[in-house]
Amino acid sequence: MRAGPSQEEIRRYNLGTLLRHVHLGGPTSRAELTSRMGLNRSTIMALTADLAAAGLVREELPRETGRAGRPSLVVRPESARIFVLAFDVGVDRLVAARVGLGGVILDRREAVRQRGPFDTGEVVATLAGFARQMLRKALPDTVCVGAAAAFCGGVRKADGMVRFSPNMGDGLHDAPFGEELARKLALGIPVAVGNDANLAALAEHTRGVGIGCRDLVYLHGDVGIGGGIISGGQLLAGRDGYFGEVGHMVVNPGGRVCGCGARGCLEAEVGERTLLEGAGGAFAGKVGREAVRAVVDAADRGDVVAQDALQRVGEWLGLGVANLVNIFNPEVVVFGGMLRDIYLGAAAQVRSRVNTVCLRANRENLRLRTSALGDDATLVGAAELAFSQVLTDPLEVLARVST
Amino acid sequence: MSSQAPVLELRGIDKSFGPVQVLHNVAFSAYAGEVTALVGDNGAGKSTLVKCIGGIHPYDSGEYYFEGNRVQVNSPRDAAALGVEIVYQDLALCDNLDIVQNMFLGRERKSGLVLDEATMEEMAAKTLAGLSVRTVKSLRQHVSSLSGGQRQTVAIAKAVLWNSKVVILDEPTAALGVAQTAQVLELVRQLADKGLAVVLISHNMNDVFAVSDRIAALYLGRMAAQVKASEVTHSQVVELITSGRSGELGLKNGAAT
Repeated sequence: MRAGPSQEEIRRYNLGTLLRHVHLGGPTSRAELTSRMGLNRSTIMALTADLAAAGLVREELPRETGRAGRPSLVVRPESARIFVLAFDVGVDRLVAARVGLGGVILDRREAVRQRGPFDTGEVVATLAGFARQMLRKALPDTVCVGAAAAFCGGVRKADGMVRFSPNMGDGLHDAPFGEELARKLALGIPVAVGNDANLAALAEHTRGVGIGCRDLVYLHGDVGIGGGIISGGQLLAGRDGYFGEVGHMVVNPGGRVCGCGARGCLEAEVGERTLLEGAGGAFAGKVGREAVRAVVDAADRGDVVAQDALQRVGEWLGLGVANLVNIFNPEVVVFGGMLRDIYLGAAAQVRSRVNTVCLRANRENLRLRTSALGDDATLVGAAELAFSQVLTDPLEVLARVST
Repeated sequence: MSSQAPVLELRGIDKSFGPVQVLHNVAFSAYAGEVTALVGDNGAGKSTLVKCIGGIHPYDSGEYYFEGNRVQVNSPRDAAALGVEIVYQDLALCDNLDIVQNMFLGRERKSGLVLDEATMEEMAAKTLAGLSVRTVKSLRQHVSSLSGGQRQTVAIAKAVLWNSKVVILDEPTAALGVAQTAQVLELVRQLADKGLAVVLISHNMNDVFAVSDRIAALYLGRMAAQVKASEVTHSQVVELITSGRSGELGLKNGAAT
């Protein structure tokens, strides 16, 4: 049995915490770090000196303070030097980005993905190609400290294996996506993989509409419906990592057939296909985010068929939200992806359903919000996942990737 | 969401234009950090009420409280001095002036005898950045070159620039397409999340439910009900607007409950 953490462990923890403050809060003065972390000034100075020596942060005089006294140095993340590779695999698009420490998107590449059977090799090749292009453009003294991907599907926590994804097309079962992408990148770093909605929840929690909020439900619409839930400040993951498949919560037994095989799942009643099929002939056969926006637009212009479809979808969405609010008692529910457009177009139905179905105590202080990061939420989440290693143990990770 | 005292509170407001009484004993409150939607049919008195709040129309009788103190508001300047700003439907922007000039119109900053363009531009830029407005390319763009949504954004930013505490928006999404409506709604929500009291006048039930915390329904010049948005349904609000009552809510024999 051990008496407590060693000096070395405490130092590592403090380095990580300080770096996280600067990463999430942007340039921060030493004085502010001192008060936020509750450490004394000389400790903060020693920690920043270590991080600065490693090239993770740099210290600068502030521009102007307008106050008397010697100004406290401002600690800035070395955004241009320290970066990660973030990938986003959605149903209709593939994105790769180089994201600097502090969350700055330095460079990005995007491709449209054709719907149809899923081919792991093809997707991996596209993303790795983008990554190579961006790495070639990066300056020589820059360091890649991690890589991660957001994937529209159920991802096993242990090894990043994509287990299922009903909306990505046939043939996607047990794809070792992270492993293959890491092999193709050949950077000597693993590629962490997470569920897109889970990661978007994390992104909204750290950088979006849910900053400072400890209980948040994020709902992501990308053909189907995914979810990520932050409870007590922690992203819930479940035993194997398949947490938050709210799209497969059955809301209408005997309802429409879902891609997963069951009937009446939330995503079968609210998903893209249902909305477009219900919206009338003009939208038949169309797919994608633009088509969803077109339905909302048509409804706004007075197309009664589109209005009817949107309202029906809003009713079911409200029912799903009410169930989640009853179970998790969140402070805020965030609608992202195509659900942003659906929520804004059918808020009367969603809110009314929540107000009639949900327990009064649970809905009293509930806020319904749209995503602040928009279509980048999943990508930003992937970047945060990629940064998580270096934020836990900055010096060790830097030493490992630099050699 | 807050449960503290309202920033702005009106009690028993009466207003007549000649023989026509437009507002009957109207009570209305707006809270910091919340969006209060003001709904009602055409001619229900929404615009008149807002003009009374903004000091354009004097009210005949009633009480006006701001941050708990009884105040007299006799002109738009009085309202502006309190921190009440109104964005009208026509936006009141000048097409031939640029964004900065519009935001400071009539209240220009001066250094000595000349206008302090640099400070004004910096303040305008800071306000727009604070509202996460990314769609405007240059602050020196003429307003005539902006889209409807961008104009609305500039008009809202203009209202926020003056450390205002209450911002009243008269149908901000009425003339906009869906994409721009979404942006403006998110902006409205953001104003309240920053701690302002926002009053949103709208006919669109989706807009009302998407962003508001409270809903105040006027019916034929009377306040039918002021309720929390987490307590009512769409159809109840429609009933309040069209008949002044809905079940337990609303007017009974002409009196608000």
